[in-house]
Amino acid sequence: MNRRMVIAILALLVFGAVRMPYEAALEKEHKAAYFHGANLDLSLREKIGQMGFLAALSGFRALVADFLWIHAHVLWERTEWGAMKVDFDAVTALQPRCLLFWSQASWHMAFNASIAALEDPKQPREALRVKAQREYWKLGEDYLIRGIANNPDVYTLYGDLGFLYREKFQDHCKAAEVFAKAAKFHDAPVFTHRFVLYELAQCPGHEREAYEGLLKLYKTGENERLPTLMKWLGILQEKLNVPADQKVYIPPAANP
Amino acid sequence: MTATPTATKHKAFSLSRVSAIASNTLLELVRLKVFYFMLLFALLIIGSSFFTSKFTFQEQFQVLKDVSLGAMSIFTWLLAVLATAMLLPKDIEDRTLYTILAKPVPRFEYLLGKFIGVLALLFIAISLMSAVFMVVLYTREQDALANAARYVPDNALPDQLNSIRAASFNSNLLPGIVIIYLKSALCAALTLLLSTFASSWIFTVIMSVVVYLIGHIQPIARQAYLDSATTSHLTKVFLALVALIIPDLTSLSLVDDIVVGNAIPMLLFVKTAGLGVTYIGVYFLVGYFVFSGKEL
Amino acid sequence: MSTPAISIQNLTKIYPIPFKREKVTAVQDLSLTVEPGQVYGLLGPNGSGKSTTMKIVLGLVSPTSGRTEIFGRDSTTVESREDVGFLPENPYFYKYLTGAETLRFYGKLCGLSSAKIRDRSKELLKLVGLENAADRRLAGYSKGMLQRIGLAQAMIQEPRLLVLDEPTAGVDPAGSREIRDLILDFKKRGITVLLCSHLLEQVQEICDHVGILNHGVLIREGTLEELISIQNQTELILENATPQLLAEIHTLLGKSNARLVEERKPQKTLERYFLDVTSSPPS
Repeated sequence: MNRRMVIAILALLVFGAVRMPYEAALEKEHKAAYFHGANLDLSLREKIGQMGFLAALSGFRALVADFLWIHAHVLWERTEWGAMKVDFDAVTALQPRCLLFWSQASWHMAFNASIAALEDPKQPREALRVKAQREYWKLGEDYLIRGIANNPDVYTLYGDLGFLYREKFQDHCKAAEVFAKAAKFHDAPVFTHRFVLYELAQCPGHEREAYEGLLKLYKTGENERLPTLMKWLGILQEKLNVPADQKVYIPPAANP
Repeated sequence: MTATPTATKHKAFSLSRVSAIASNTLLELVRLKVFYFMLLFALLIIGSSFFTSKFTFQEQFQVLKDVSLGAMSIFTWLLAVLATAMLLPKDIEDRTLYTILAKPVPRFEYLLGKFIGVLALLFIAISLMSAVFMVVLYTREQDALANAARYVPDNALPDQLNSIRAASFNSNLLPGIVIIYLKSALCAALTLLLSTFASSWIFTVIMSVVVYLIGHIQPIARQAYLDSATTSHLTKVFLALVALIIPDLTSLSLVDDIVVGNAIPMLLFVKTAGLGVTYIGVYFLVGYFVFSGKEL
Repeated sequence: MSTPAISIQNLTKIYPIPFKREKVTAVQDLSLTVEPGQVYGLLGPNGSGKSTTMKIVLGLVSPTSGRTEIFGRDSTTVESREDVGFLPENPYFYKYLTGAETLRFYGKLCGLSSAKIRDRSKELLKLVGLENAADRRLAGYSKGMLQRIGLAQAMIQEPRLLVLDEPTAGVDPAGSREIRDLILDFKKRGITVLLCSHLLEQVQEICDHVGILNHGVLIREGTLEELISIQNQTELILENATPQLLAEIHTLLGKSNARLVEERKPQKTLERYFLDVTSSPPS
């Protein structure tokens, strides 16, 4: 009887040796398909505690992330931005493939926390408030950049980043660059390629490029001649001193 | 009645013998009222919505999916370990094993029948849970669609409706559920193997839980063993033992990524499922090997 | 010379004790044969190796050395069990199944078709007197009923050999009588029976051959008559003998070398009396 157990253990060891290269290769394939990207390291363990870490290791990552996400919402109601960031860092470490988490974390930092910092009644010095606001914008940007690094195969976070550059940083060149990356995806929303041009129009040195792009869209037909497109076409026509005979007619409503 | 009976022919492998044992095992397990936990499952997933009622619909769907699939994983795993750990000890203690093996039933068919009974139980459990999950998800989706139709302006409505549908059911969840099933079947096969070694079912359960936990960090041991150049000889031997003996359970832990929308390519799914099936086969056969030499 | 029903040749079984050097010898160089059609009683005190021998014959335990065969087929093979029906001590059945379901389950294990199982079940339930309890769960059966359903399941595939372990232990006198009558009926049909029991009077009644084991060794074996007849004594039981006849017999005896050991009125067995008295309804 004991002999059989010994043979059984040896058989399992042999099986282990045989499957090792297959599993190592399979792990690589999984990682290439964006599985197992979660970063479960000691800093995470500090943030979520021993039980959470154990649960995450045991294949309940999603649930631990959800708990923390709900916790972050509770903190939001208390406007504890710093603590929220700790939760967001843990959540995105646990579920790097969840676009929602990166997007929302960025939004909370760049749009909510930044305003709160700007209007902070406890900070009398405006310069410091503005500085804090900008720091929150950077945190928002950081979440999106890391989110894109983990999800380079989807357009969503590129779009969010472009929006962030446009609305907060007012960096139209960067916005255009990012929207252009988003527009490359076949399932990107239709307006993305227009946004590229609108931002380029505001990026010094790229007005000609923007104008030609907008003109091309204008020429494709009536459904592309949206008010914003017409508006920018008009602005650029003036800026670039386009000859009158080549100018496109801009309806009055669209004229700035 | 006939005169002195004559010798009968024996079939080397009989599917009907195996299915008799399998269906009896299933009946025995179902009688343990394991399906009451289904109520707990339903309560859990419906209850989870209360925590997220103030959230966006994407977050609500996300949490619903996470809780459902997480609960499915844990319930099927628990069922697999507990049902299998009891399988042999109960028959041995009640001595029903004697009456069965006193019939012309090869030990292989007995063990196979028992194991298939457990697999059938797990299949029924996971099907029921999936059905409940899909019904709840569908209901919430319909709610969200109705709400959108009521409050969202017409020009933004089609996009909103599409967003809602995209956030709700995703066909990628189905291979995810299959992998949950395979992982629990693997744990069942592993527990069966451990029960042929162990003397008490409690010991089997504890060992199974420990292997389950270590199995999720086995790839780290494997990587460390394959990479390292500077670790001591003793550490290398230890890492090798862990890497060789313990199963790699992370290869079947894909649902956390699937549930947030990560699609699994068909070929990768087949390779992963193939690995799972291989584990189940090997563990079963090794368990049979040990069982076949057991003194009753 | 037909194939013996059971052939045990030089069987030895040694159990190692974990963590200790010494071992336990359960059975030592046992050889015995049970011919077809015999009712063989295997007797012995607790720990004598009876159960071990029985388990080895049934292929549940493997021998350390030696060989056991059932109708010429090695006990360690699964095929050998086609010919055997086993009734264990303390019925080891699934209590949540009904009588009919139990027979169906074991019938399937023997490879019988559903139709065959239906027919056999009907026959056997009638034979063992459980037709009315066929749809009741075994959990609701009395000990006697459990033994009877156990006999039915042992017979489901029409085996040529029955191995019965304490078939009447814990059963009331009526039930016990029924089981013994069944065994005698089986014997009439040519089915070989190997019986293990502590109830020696019952063994005496139904067995024709007996083997006694002690400390794993077969110490006595043979036909019942050979073993327990008091060779130099003769028993005559007379009915309606007149006092004159008895006086004449006494006279004859006085003239011979024989000695009258005992003269008395033979007794009914207490069992017979009990059954006669309890079988009729109260007047």
